[in-house]
Amino acid sequence: MTSTPNMLMPLTMLPPGQVGRIVQIHAGQRLKQRLMGMGLAPGNTVRVLRDNGGPLLLAVGESRIALGRGMAHKILVQAVSDPIPRGEFVS
Amino acid sequence: MSQPRRLRVALAGNPNAGKSTVFNALTGSHQHVGNWPGKTVEKKEGSFRYRDLWVDVIDLPGTYSLSAYSPEERIAQEFITQEHPDVVVNVVDASNLERNLYLTAQLLEIGVPLIIVLNMIDVAEQLGYEIDVERFSQLLGVPVIPAVASKGQGLEALQASLYQAAQDPAQFAPPRALVQYEHEMERSVRQLTEALQALPDLQGYQPRWLAVKLIEGDAQAHALVAAAPGGEQVLALLEKVLDKLRRTYGEDVDVVLADARYGFVRGLIRQVLTLPKQPPHTLSDRIDQIVTNRWLGIPLFLFLMYLMFNLVQRVSAPYMDWIDSLFSGPVSHWALVALQALHAPDWLASLVVDGAIAGVGSVLVFVPSLMVMFFALAFMEDSGYLARAAFVMDRMMGFLGLNGRAFIPMILGFGCNVPAVYATRTIENRGARILTGLLIPFMSCSARLPVYVVFGMAFFGARAGLVVWALYLIGIATASLAGWILARWVFPEVHQSVFVLELPRYRLPTLQGLWLHTWEHTSEFVRKAGTVILGISVLLWFLLNLPWGVSDPKESYFGQVSGALAPVFEPAGFGTWQATGALISGFVAKEVVISTMSQVYVGEQQTTRFETSTAEPPSLKDDVRTAVVGFLKATRDAGKAFLDVLTPGVSLFPQDEGVRRQTALSRALRDAFTPLSAFAFLVYVLLYTPCAATIAAQTQEYGWRWAAFSVALGLSTAWVLAVAVYQVGRLLGWG
Repeated sequence: MTSTPNMLMPLTMLPPGQVGRIVQIHAGQRLKQRLMGMGLAPGNTVRVLRDNGGPLLLAVGESRIALGRGMAHKILVQAVSDPIPRGEFVS
Repeated sequence: MSQPRRLRVALAGNPNAGKSTVFNALTGSHQHVGNWPGKTVEKKEGSFRYRDLWVDVIDLPGTYSLSAYSPEERIAQEFITQEHPDVVVNVVDASNLERNLYLTAQLLEIGVPLIIVLNMIDVAEQLGYEIDVERFSQLLGVPVIPAVASKGQGLEALQASLYQAAQDPAQFAPPRALVQYEHEMERSVRQLTEALQALPDLQGYQPRWLAVKLIEGDAQAHALVAAAPGGEQVLALLEKVLDKLRRTYGEDVDVVLADARYGFVRGLIRQVLTLPKQPPHTLSDRIDQIVTNRWLGIPLFLFLMYLMFNLVQRVSAPYMDWIDSLFSGPVSHWALVALQALHAPDWLASLVVDGAIAGVGSVLVFVPSLMVMFFALAFMEDSGYLARAAFVMDRMMGFLGLNGRAFIPMILGFGCNVPAVYATRTIENRGARILTGLLIPFMSCSARLPVYVVFGMAFFGARAGLVVWALYLIGIATASLAGWILARWVFPEVHQSVFVLELPRYRLPTLQGLWLHTWEHTSEFVRKAGTVILGISVLLWFLLNLPWGVSDPKESYFGQVSGALAPVFEPAGFGTWQATGALISGFVAKEVVISTMSQVYVGEQQTTRFETSTAEPPSLKDDVRTAVVGFLKATRDAGKAFLDVLTPGVSLFPQDEGVRRQTALSRALRDAFTPLSAFAFLVYVLLYTPCAATIAAQTQEYGWRWAAFSVALGLSTAWVLAVAVYQVGRLLGWG
């Protein structure tokens, strides 16, 4: 991967397969709570499984979550250098 | 001597954790489905007996967390904290611990007696996960039971555990503040906890939980404290505490709380879960590589839809015919015989047979297709495919201002609008659900097809097929346009709503789950929509037969009302009382349009079946035999159709043999319509309110206001387009 580990980027820019750690979510409280309940919480890691140009298909822990592109753009992540798919368990 | 003991248990858990499976396995058929008071969220209750203990189970809505932010979460939270169930059973997907335990962390904070069911433990084992159940239970201080609910494994242990809980539920209350927060946050939580402990009115609540909820900004907790005497001081303290917290953490105070919960969950997982060295490439992911593929995803989805559409149409068709013949034949006949024996007057016999029984028949005739539809839908949902379909279709539906979940109900609308309206339940956003429900009537259902065919053959000859296709396309185009407009002007929040959806692991649905789902929804339709249809049928009978002793339908109230309304359709080219009357009766069901037309145009005098029935009555035995043989034949035909559907080469438009015979009607229609006004009439039939059952379903799902809006939308859209077709056609000289 070419992305430098510390750079912040929207989830839509995370290359498929690369693991990212969620740093910030720009959303209203209601939506943020919902996303956090589904595992999309700051501190957790996420991987883009599929990007067909529409919604993203994400791996969040053991969950598979479809997330609309607009929302994905407002989630800021940091690429994690260790590309173990389930990095969230080896914190 | 002693009262049978009862235990009240609430089931909580994430969507897709298998909560319903546990519920069904525990309660079997002893369940009741209703709605939570004032909400459209489904409420399921059931009970079962274990030794001398009766256990009442309430299935809470599936949620990812507990807060006051969505109706489902609010219901779950309110029930647990205010209705005080004796025990909460938390169903957890053992193969997805981290996400599922977030809710568990919140339940532990509430302090309610808890039993944790590690469901789908077999899946976790297949993936190579090792879970130390004993350690799990020790760390949390509550029972942890491994289970495979779909196979009944672990249920006995759960029942035994509930039995033990009945002695003294408090023994399963989590012992201490398990979730610890960061330094500054923890201090604030404790400060508020102490203040809350001093309020006698809030003794029923875990003060630490209330403190956390106050900091989180939970409106329900806020209201609770505000209502308690002495609560103002606590709220004043809260303001001070929040001020300080914001200085430390910024605006994201709730994120700090969530972070601590996930921290707790990760710590727990580290102690109880051993992962395989090599992360498994699961079958579920492999299937997804094909199903969600950029190029294969949509064709695959369309193919499955085609299959389902055909199944609903064709497997149910033989049963529909069977029910239809049963009601128009033996049931009507024997009702007449019974009425005759009771010396009932003719008018009463006619009311019962032509009004009530025909009405009931027209309700029950929907049952087979509804059952097949609900079954197919439950299969797609329980297997996990429905969520993938939504993912695949999201982009396309974005154009209508809807997200991917709306596609399935729309497609179903081509079969029958009624199940399609019910299918909108799978859309979680209420606005999107209603918007979809408003667009469904523009999808041309199969009941409208006979009308097109009759007119098509009378006026368009070889080009009839083309006309029918054009009508389907006009329906789709109208839905698209209406969706585009409504999403922007009536439901702006839908347009902006965020698409976020879990794609559960694929699994084989259980037959019991599918059947319960099918049965529940079908019987609900019969009870609720049935009453409405029956009412309208009886009303229509009265309109046709009043004033008293009327013989010419034109003189009946029905004819008079039709005549009065006819001028409205003048600009569309079919302003006659007959056409208007057919449209009015089509309000009940589109199937009625053609029969009404043959009555009013061809003047088929309704031979009172009262007289004919006396001629040569078949015996009851004959009728029962015919009914049974008919059912078996229907089953054979359905089986054939099922195999047919699964093999390619089926035609979407089976020609209706019955309509070809209506040559007298064809002639009469050619006298009454021009090809242009006939086409305008068909456009009207396509777009106006499909049937009473659809209105009933919309009322049930979205409330009567939206149902009325839908009727108004249908009537006005249909009129505008029919007039446009006729007037433009005339300008072009086609009239």
